[in-house]
Amino acid sequence: MNQFLRVLPTVVRQIVRSPIRSGLTIVGIGVAMFLFVAVEAMREGVHTATQVQAGDTTLVVYRENRFCPFSSRLPQFYGDRMERIDGVTSVVPMQIHVSNCRASLDVVTFRGVPQDDFDVAVTGDADIVGGDLGDWQSRGDAAIVGEALAARRGIRVGDRFAAAGITVFVAGILQTDHPQDRNIAWVHLPFLQEAARRGGTGGLVTQFNVSVDDPTRLESIAGEIDELFAHDEHPTATRPERAFVGRAARDIVELVDFAGLLAWGALAAVFALIANAIILAMRDRVRDHAVLQTLGYTGPLIGWMVVLEGAIMGLAGGLLGALAALATVRLGHFSLTMEGLNIEIASNWTAPAWGVSAALTLGLLAGVVPAIRLARRDIAACFRAV
Amino acid sequence: MTLIECRALTRTYRRGSEKITPLQNLNLDIDSGGFVALMGPSGSGKTTLLNLLAGIDRPTEGTLTVAGEAIQNLSRGALSHWRSKHVGYIFQLYNLIPVLTAYENVELPLLLQPLTRRQRHERVSTALESVGISDRYAHYPRQLSGGQEQRVAIARAIVTEPTILLADEPTGDLDRESATAVMELLSRLNSEQGRTIVMVTHDPRTTEWADTVLHLEKGQLVEQTVRTA
Repeated sequence: MNQFLRVLPTVVRQIVRSPIRSGLTIVGIGVAMFLFVAVEAMREGVHTATQVQAGDTTLVVYRENRFCPFSSRLPQFYGDRMERIDGVTSVVPMQIHVSNCRASLDVVTFRGVPQDDFDVAVTGDADIVGGDLGDWQSRGDAAIVGEALAARRGIRVGDRFAAAGITVFVAGILQTDHPQDRNIAWVHLPFLQEAARRGGTGGLVTQFNVSVDDPTRLESIAGEIDELFAHDEHPTATRPERAFVGRAARDIVELVDFAGLLAWGALAAVFALIANAIILAMRDRVRDHAVLQTLGYTGPLIGWMVVLEGAIMGLAGGLLGALAALATVRLGHFSLTMEGLNIEIASNWTAPAWGVSAALTLGLLAGVVPAIRLARRDIAACFRAV
Repeated sequence: MTLIECRALTRTYRRGSEKITPLQNLNLDIDSGGFVALMGPSGSGKTTLLNLLAGIDRPTEGTLTVAGEAIQNLSRGALSHWRSKHVGYIFQLYNLIPVLTAYENVELPLLLQPLTRRQRHERVSTALESVGISDRYAHYPRQLSGGQEQRVAIARAIVTEPTILLADEPTGDLDRESATAVMELLSRLNSEQGRTIVMVTHDPRTTEWADTVLHLEKGQLVEQTVRTA
């Protein structure tokens, strides 16, 4: 085994047996990495929710110049006219009711859909886990609750839960890969229309979700829909679903983009922490390194031990922070909701992997300059210095 | 047989504008298996000579040959490698690594050699046993007395079975009893294992164990006493 590997246990011992110095450094790196991964999770959630994908086939039809579910009101019969447009495969009228119209981390959003349109309204791969769609169909006050909302609120099948003045019976939990659907409660459209009635709003819905047969025709069909109702009492504004979320969440998107600077700041903090710890350790160990050189350790070997120490601390802190952030994000089921739309703060392994790699790389880099300086030091001068 | 050969050895360095010559034109031969004590007042060049012999400093002029190898011409890396094979160094203040146990301190020089963990274990155990401190192998330096620390330092110096053992005032920080024990240990290593020892000392009592006493003054050898058994 190469001597560069044989010294590894010695380096680990130096870290472990200086618990205060190493502990503070590793915790500091961990906190910075937690911040980095959390910000990246927010950016990832925003990206997933707002970037239009090539395969997207869903349009959202909203009341023109309205930005909140409480103010967007469209006649339900618009749906019949939209269905007649070439390329439209389905139209689902939705009533949306939210517990809070502002941006918040814990908003309950109800979506009312016609009983027979539930399967069409739910996007992508979705399963009802726990409960049964039949139960939902057979009860007027029943709700199918998205898994993230259920986890956040501790809701289980058979519970009754109330929000925004509406009380529903939980008939099932919806498991889906679509962030919007994971964070809402699906109820019957007439039930929500009735519950949200503010004097003569029967037959009105908040929005329509329109599916088209060809993703390349999203924009042209959106134009056709808006043109169809341009001169009606309730003109519409139609956008691809993700673009719709992006518009509604514009302020959040800007904030999250700004928070990206924090992620860079976190990386800079990691570098500064490790470099500081190593420089202080080098100062403390002038005599130790001179002893090692006297024993026959070469400059490059001692430099390697210094670099290795930085890398190990970076790796340990990176793992600590990244895993803590991942666990927090996953167990917390956080979702930024504004105007009834959800941006899920979700993280796969990409951001933590980047974070750990960055911490490891920065740890290596932070040790390089002290290592080079140390490798060039004169032994006799080191002994004279202590 | 001559093991160490110094010819016209001079070491000069600058401190600001001042030129200091701690060792000047020194000629010296040390035989294999000898026990040499270097004495002299502060600034006489004892430690400088020891550092040159150890290869941790280089002569400004002259030649220094150890076991047939002229070490003044070796590169920095080659000199490190040479030290790991040929030199065991004992410091006045022991200089054990504080976060490592006695065992781990003694193991340090062996990490440079292509040995298995088992082979290292055997050699460390033998070294600790030979200095009579094997029962303290798991202790950290802060848990040992000065005498015990110096024993561990000696074990670290001999564990690679070096060609020469160099000791810089090995008893300078010890009480009389511990100092005697350390000197008896060095003497035993010299007589029983045939180790060549060069020791710097201020204490005339410790020279009793040496077979040759060299007196340095102002960087030059002024007196050489050879004791016969």
